[in-house]
Amino acid sequence: MPQTLSTREANLFRTVIRHYEDKQYKRGLKAAEQILKKNPRHGDTMSMKALIMNSQGKTEEAFALAKEALTVDMKSHICWHVYGILYRQHKNFDEAIKAYKFALKLEPESQQIQRDLAVLQVQIRDYQGYVQSRFAMLKAKPHLRQNWTALAIAYQLEGSLEQAENILTTYEKSMTNVPLKTDQEHSEALLYKNTIIAERGDIKRALEHLESDCKNCLDRLAVMEMRARYLGQLNRKEEAAKAWRALLDRNPEHPEYYKGLIEALGIDEKDEAALKAIYDEYAAKYPRSDAAKRLPLNFLTGDSFKAAAKSYLTNMLDRGVPSVFANLKHLYSEVAKKEAILALAEEYLKEHKGSEQANGDSSKGVGAALYFLAQHYNYHLSRDLAKAMEYVEQAIELDPKNVDFHMTKARIFKHQGDTAKASETMDRARSLDTKDRYINSKAAKYQLRNNENEKALETMGLFTRAETVGGPLADLTDMQCMWFLTEDGEAWQRRGNTGLALKRFTTIHNIFDIWQEDQFDFHSFSLRKGQIRAYVDMIRWEDSIREHPFYFRAALDAVKLYLDMFEKQQASANGTNGTGEATNGEDAAEKKKAAKKARKEAQKAEREAAEKAAKQDPNKATAKKDEEPKKKDDDPNGLKLAATTDPLGDAMKFLTNILQFSPKNIEGQIAGFDVYIRRKKYLLALRCLNAAQALDPEHPRVKEQFAELQKAVESLDDAQSAKVKEVLKAKFSS
Amino acid sequence: MDIRVLRPSDIPLIQHANIENLPENYFLKYYLYHALSWPQLSYVAVDVSRPAKSAYDYPKIVGYVLAKMEEEPTDGVQHGHITSLSVMRTHRRLGIAEKLMRQSQALLISLGRDETEQAMVETFGAHYVSLHVRVSNAAAIHLYRDTLGFKTEKTEAKYYADGEDAYCMKLDLAPIREALLAEQLDGKDGDKKKQIEEGKGTEGVDEGEAVGDVGRDPEADSKKEDKTVKVKVGRGLGVGGEEEEEEEEEEEER
Repeated sequence: MPQTLSTREANLFRTVIRHYEDKQYKRGLKAAEQILKKNPRHGDTMSMKALIMNSQGKTEEAFALAKEALTVDMKSHICWHVYGILYRQHKNFDEAIKAYKFALKLEPESQQIQRDLAVLQVQIRDYQGYVQSRFAMLKAKPHLRQNWTALAIAYQLEGSLEQAENILTTYEKSMTNVPLKTDQEHSEALLYKNTIIAERGDIKRALEHLESDCKNCLDRLAVMEMRARYLGQLNRKEEAAKAWRALLDRNPEHPEYYKGLIEALGIDEKDEAALKAIYDEYAAKYPRSDAAKRLPLNFLTGDSFKAAAKSYLTNMLDRGVPSVFANLKHLYSEVAKKEAILALAEEYLKEHKGSEQANGDSSKGVGAALYFLAQHYNYHLSRDLAKAMEYVEQAIELDPKNVDFHMTKARIFKHQGDTAKASETMDRARSLDTKDRYINSKAAKYQLRNNENEKALETMGLFTRAETVGGPLADLTDMQCMWFLTEDGEAWQRRGNTGLALKRFTTIHNIFDIWQEDQFDFHSFSLRKGQIRAYVDMIRWEDSIREHPFYFRAALDAVKLYLDMFEKQQASANGTNGTGEATNGEDAAEKKKAAKKARKEAQKAEREAAEKAAKQDPNKATAKKDEEPKKKDDDPNGLKLAATTDPLGDAMKFLTNILQFSPKNIEGQIAGFDVYIRRKKYLLALRCLNAAQALDPEHPRVKEQFAELQKAVESLDDAQSAKVKEVLKAKFSS
Repeated sequence: MDIRVLRPSDIPLIQHANIENLPENYFLKYYLYHALSWPQLSYVAVDVSRPAKSAYDYPKIVGYVLAKMEEEPTDGVQHGHITSLSVMRTHRRLGIAEKLMRQSQALLISLGRDETEQAMVETFGAHYVSLHVRVSNAAAIHLYRDTLGFKTEKTEAKYYADGEDAYCMKLDLAPIREALLAEQLDGKDGDKKKQIEEGKGTEGVDEGEAVGDVGRDPEADSKKEDKTVKVKVGRGLGVGGEEEEEEEEEEEER
């Protein structure tokens, strides 16, 4: 039953809402209390109070109160809506959707609930639900263009391209005024429709639409690119060539444009001279273009390669461009090119030897050539570390203060396996240019490779924001510095600090959660901004965000670490049964000690946090800032993570993402097998093994794992094992 | 090197390049905010010569320019702003920063450009582009002032978190705008464009070393990007607004 309030309290209730929206939580609570004093069982007020408490970080009380509110007023859409919001904030999206749907049933006209539901549906990729919601929203407010566009997006994401296009067309037809040519939303909507037409496969119509409807679109570059691509696809070569040329005039550094032009001109890909002529044309037209000069090195062979490489290399070395090696090393997969480049660099050095003094800047000319050769011999396809060191030493002699030279010297030490010297040398490079964060980052990385975590953090601290509470690590975590967290975790792992290693890998996992969550606001923001193509790109990228190497590396590290922990636990468990007592006994004792320490530290941290909170002056601006948003970490050192009794279970959090998002990565499949076989999930282990075998049948671990699995199921005769045995047998006989 | 417009999937590695190179850093969401508000303005330089390391390789970003339109310009004049620009040390002296800037500038104008009615040009397109640079960053200042034609507007004391001052620089886009318009009118694509491409750039000029930090917005000073990412969602009934939770400052204690 909807509960009614007196006028005074109804007004008070509105102020509760306003205070909540303005984030004036204390005032909001005060007003809520006032209402509850007179009407202690007023469900809506209880819900609002719960919502405010939740914002203050009192999650459990908030949930309890919201539930209680529902029991006193089951028929209130506010109670259900709040319940949904609580779930949504704690990322239980399924429950949140359920609650929103209840709320909507009670209050079908509420735009707000409908919108909250819709956003959640697209966030969890419930596209069918999203189509329904957007349809309802369109029906409620058909005069808003956003609502039409949004429904089209919903249809497109759901895979109904025809409907998507129809919706956009229907709206266009309903327009009474011709939009201004500067209307961003209109311009983007037209281009968006064009991408849908193309996605439907009808390139001819897409081109026609582009040339008629989109000719005035504000994103001219996009129009030009789409047109060139369509013309190419439609084999309208002459026009395509012209279109690609226009693009090259805008940006002669984009390889796709050259490729398009060459295709349009119908040049045979083996006709080196004709290809070269195109690039030469642009190199002459745009003398500063790097692409026009460098791309021909990819296809040229023999003497024409040598001539082109010589002119490229000479120019770069004369100018002292430090990236010239990075720009050429991909050619090293061809032996002839590798050798030719080496010969050219040596020749250059010989010719210029002795002219060092003349030119003044030692990073150019001879210095550049020495530097190039050092990198050449340091590269894995042409490695001779002794020679590399020789050249870099000569370069340093020429210019003792050159950061790049020292950086390369550190890399050579790294490849020699001497992490200590590598770290020391990189730090020397850093000291030569203390204002450059790049070299600072490299110094920290090399310190981590040498297991100097503390020192590395200090180095990083030279560039992190001093005012961040929690110091450099907190800043790096806030700023999502993935490489540091990964390298730091790996170093801790090497040092045997399981807790901190797991902590870092978990932090990376959590940052990916944040990145996924980051989409949330854009579901409505992008509709208002009207940049629909960019939004759809973003959605598609977010769909597979955890395939990113940043995620994979940390996740694989974590899985391997959990496997290690499991093995150690097994060993110590066996130990109590009589084998190798000495070490295992120690292990068990140590574990006990570690657990005790974890408890103590957690208590201490809690105490300290409480004290700190108590000391904070609520009126001080600085204190206020971090009070709410920053949740305190109850396991800063990962001791709780390390104290797990079920490492394989914990590994699953990472492993499922690895297998779902990076199935083509053999390392992931191999780790998957290792986890599943230990969990006695033989069918799943078999699935990983099959996948790994398909990726690389010669991989040594694949063969070992076959034997392992066979042995594991040999003596078992349950249904699962029988199935596995059958498959294995079939594999062997084939 | 491939110089092209930014894609959302580039963002983790743009963020990586930023935090590797510069002291002014941002959450991923701030990059998304740029990419989804003005997708045409930001550019990346990609190392195309690097062989793929796995089936899930992402193009290695060696330089980027992150640009935006000022949403509420204090002077009332539509203009662009360079939020951040950097090039990896390993790829310096290739002229990448300049190339990135030139692409972005051309787009800043054309984003709001009307093809025929010149009056409209004035109502939407960017009239100038602004940026901040550390007073000690000689290489970057050289690029902006000498190569690209920026003028120093004023010095902002203690703009950076570490206490360093910033030059606030501006580039008037009118000449470029006129050239683009002229090109439009006589339909000759190449010549004018070339003039724009090369007009101010002296042959062979490099940004030299350490082209670095065009840092945070001043208002982001204490709160990082929070203020700008604020995503307003008009709310009727009270039980909303949770999305802004992270973005807004808490005021209850005032």
